[in-house]
Amino acid sequence: MSGLRLALPNGTLLQGACDLLREAGVASLQPGMFDETLLVHESGMQFVKTRPTDVPVYVEMGACDGGVVGKDILWEAARDCYELVDLRFGGCRLVLAAPEESLLARGQWPPSLRVATKYPQAARQFFDRIGVAAELIKLHGSIELAPATGLADAVLDITASGRTLRANRLVEVVEAGRSTARLIANQASIKTRATEIDELATALRRAVEARGTAARGAA
Amino acid sequence: MDNASPVDGAGAPRGRAGGFSDWLPGPAARRRAVSDAFLDTFEGWGYGLLATPVVEPLDTVAAGIGAGRQTSLFRFMDADGSLLALVGERTVSVARVVATQLRDGPFPLRLCYSGPVLRNQALLGGRRRETLQAGCELIGSDALGADAECVALAAHALENAGLTGVQIDVGHADFLPGLLEGAGLDDATRERVLQALQDRDLVAVEAALEGTEVGDAERSLLLRFPALRGGREILDVAATGLRAERPLRALDELRRLWELLAAHGLNGGAIHLDLGAVRDWDYYTGPTFELFTRDLGFPLGSGGRYDQLLARFGFPLPATGFVISVDRCCDALMRRADPGFAAQAPLRIGYAEGQAHGAIVLARRLRDRGLSVAADLEPSAEPGAGVHVHIDTNAFLHWRHGATWCKGGMDDAVEALFRAAGAPALLERRGA
Repeated sequence: MSGLRLALPNGTLLQGACDLLREAGVASLQPGMFDETLLVHESGMQFVKTRPTDVPVYVEMGACDGGVVGKDILWEAARDCYELVDLRFGGCRLVLAAPEESLLARGQWPPSLRVATKYPQAARQFFDRIGVAAELIKLHGSIELAPATGLADAVLDITASGRTLRANRLVEVVEAGRSTARLIANQASIKTRATEIDELATALRRAVEARGTAARGAA
Repeated sequence: MDNASPVDGAGAPRGRAGGFSDWLPGPAARRRAVSDAFLDTFEGWGYGLLATPVVEPLDTVAAGIGAGRQTSLFRFMDADGSLLALVGERTVSVARVVATQLRDGPFPLRLCYSGPVLRNQALLGGRRRETLQAGCELIGSDALGADAECVALAAHALENAGLTGVQIDVGHADFLPGLLEGAGLDDATRERVLQALQDRDLVAVEAALEGTEVGDAERSLLLRFPALRGGREILDVAATGLRAERPLRALDELRRLWELLAAHGLNGGAIHLDLGAVRDWDYYTGPTFELFTRDLGFPLGSGGRYDQLLARFGFPLPATGFVISVDRCCDALMRRADPGFAAQAPLRIGYAEGQAHGAIVLARRLRDRGLSVAADLEPSAEPGAGVHVHIDTNAFLHWRHGATWCKGGMDDAVEALFRAAGAPALLERRGA
């Protein structure tokens, strides 16, 4: 694994990525190590911390050999990377949600639908798959506001606990996708640094499986 | 021009279209040298140079590789309303020429090309929209010898361009689809797995196989992807437990290809067998390969057998070939920062008042000896900075020899400068 350079996402997935890399015996990383520098040398590898949306960019262009990123980011990134391992942390769901009192919330689909979303690519694929003609409105935040102000009939957004949806009197209509953190790799690195990438993927997969076993044991 | 700031001339039309590059003296010379090295190698293997237009009818382009990627073409309309495109790759143009103007062969037909290809990549993505590509097509042979020749030729072309240590990943377009066909999966699942493989999404491959009746041998092979790589031994490992004929036939072809490549001087140091190689399955039909270097996050080139393409032009013939990105090769060479390629500055001639004719004659004589020469356009009393040879008012020549200046007649100067420039190598390159 030594010599590899990995991109890690800042924000909510950073702690989980560091924990898993530690458990897998890959590198003894802590999020705090990135406070002073964005490029950390640790356990013979290099780690860079970037915006989640930039992780696939670094990896596709070969600036990093691999990276950890949420599947939700990959939905929107038209980037050519290998997706190697489901790391099974940072889970969230992409759901279509509509106001409580709407027909859609009661399962009646209107002939046309305006949907606000931060995920236009994933939304397009989802609506094509279920055969619904939806007009998409791309927003960059506070998606829940769109139905309340009449901007859209429904939202397609990420939810982890459902709390934000409830607070805005939105109810889930249907699940459109599930996202967890993924290990991705550059298309050339996977060939020219095959041994190192294989070791990394195997170590992470084992750590993920060990967590699953531990969770089942506790249950 | 004093203190010129970038703001000066604001409003002048100085923009450049995004994703397109200027190649300045130095890098541009290197780029041409790399392209020349490729074409020289191709011609040395009996491949005839073919030049095709940068514009093709859209339906011609659409018959080629990655028809699904048509959105990335620059498209426009001809005067009669028909749709045209700037070529995104050139194999399809070669196929069109073979199916129309070169129908009489002689087959197998060996053709090579070098030219720009254009792709309408998203802006700000860091990807080039115009690249220079060189490639070969070997048309009319279904023998494995043709596939081996293409791999070996690509490897030697890269070596001749100064790209050492290139890794060649050889796979087979029929292996994974054949494996899936023989695995007893229903059509929908097989389609999902192939799509996931094409998307390079191994998590989705695993998900698609979950709960299916796929055999143990096939499952473990599919889930080990992309670890299905190594030397010749991997072919026997992969064959273990496989019953279906199609993947076994692919493995057997790779076995024979491996031996042919050994005869070409390519062994396990350069060649990696890569059974998980994921390529455009609706295009490639047999052995495929990709060229990598550790300096770059993209393949330098790729190739493979495409037996169905010519049939789309009404002229069914087996074919194999490859393309190399000249620009990516230049990227890799520049990352290596090899000092071997510094753009050679021309020899500069200065002259005193009244000696302009002598300067021109001297320049002609030196150029005849193969040197790159630039004569000053104005006289100078003394040799200024950067002048290698100067003609004084008495028609004596002064030339630099290390830190000192020598003085003599024109014959002496020509000989001395010729020897000092190490010019024979240059002459050889020009075939003089």
